[in-house]
Amino acid sequence: MASLIRCPHCGARPKEEFTIRGAAVTRPQPDAGEDAWYAYVYLRDNPMGPFDEYWHHTSGCRRWLVVSRDTRTHETYGVRDAAAVAGESRS
Amino acid sequence: MPEFALVSRPALPHSPVGDASRVRIEALPEGHVLHVLAAGGRDITPEQLASLGDGTAHAVRRYAPGQWFVVGNEALGSKEYREKAARLGADAAVSDQSHGRVRVAVSGSGARSLLAKGCAVDFSPSVFAVGATAATLYNHIGIHVTRTAEDGFELLVLRSFAQSLWEDLSVNHGEH
Ligand SMILES: [Zn+2]
Repeated sequence: MASLIRCPHCGARPKEEFTIRGAAVTRPQPDAGEDAWYAYVYLRDNPMGPFDEYWHHTSGCRRWLVVSRDTRTHETYGVRDAAAVAGESRS
Repeated sequence: MPEFALVSRPALPHSPVGDASRVRIEALPEGHVLHVLAAGGRDITPEQLASLGDGTAHAVRRYAPGQWFVVGNEALGSKEYREKAARLGADAAVSDQSHGRVRVAVSGSGARSLLAKGCAVDFSPSVFAVGATAATLYNHIGIHVTRTAEDGFELLVLRSFAQSLWEDLSVNHGEH
């Protein structure tokens, strides 16, 4: 359930310890053009189902995380450190 | 002569609450608190961290990936602090937080249940053994918890929140 988040550094913690930033969308390159930047800043899919979001463990380890959850059931099926996720997408 | 004499006052000028057979809450000496932050990508060895401690058990406490607190009962002079901060060289930054955070000990057979009234962390010994640490909340106050004994915990709290934490612990203690 999304009320209990399994932080990879801290273990299971209540959602009150976290701050949610929103959809984990990939930042475009600086020269990607106006359309790509407009989409990055303003356009969101609002999916019904699997969804990746940035959560900050504000009252714990203070790391940025990517929480993968299902918006229909609130089931979380993955919590990863955002730096590790960024490293994967770069390589 | 300065116009005003600087007076050092403890953040928690309180006598211990409760007794050790059940639950006891005690303000610990305001010695030193060092915040250690590893330089990007550097691995800090346990030996390096131990070299910053005062030799007592649980002096070094994990806080987050690449971050630790090093605590002790003795105040550090600026010369001692600079000497310690230089020990890790370019591997880590060491920030003196002795003025910024204070420690509270919670001990006794009921210590775990007193903490459970304000924390969502699982403090059962199989999960949170002696030496385990957690950055978390007590009610709405950010704290760093270390289990220092089977029935003993230390809470590290920002100085300006120490009085509120003390009151929360005292109120919950009264319900025991
Ligand atoms: Zn965490």
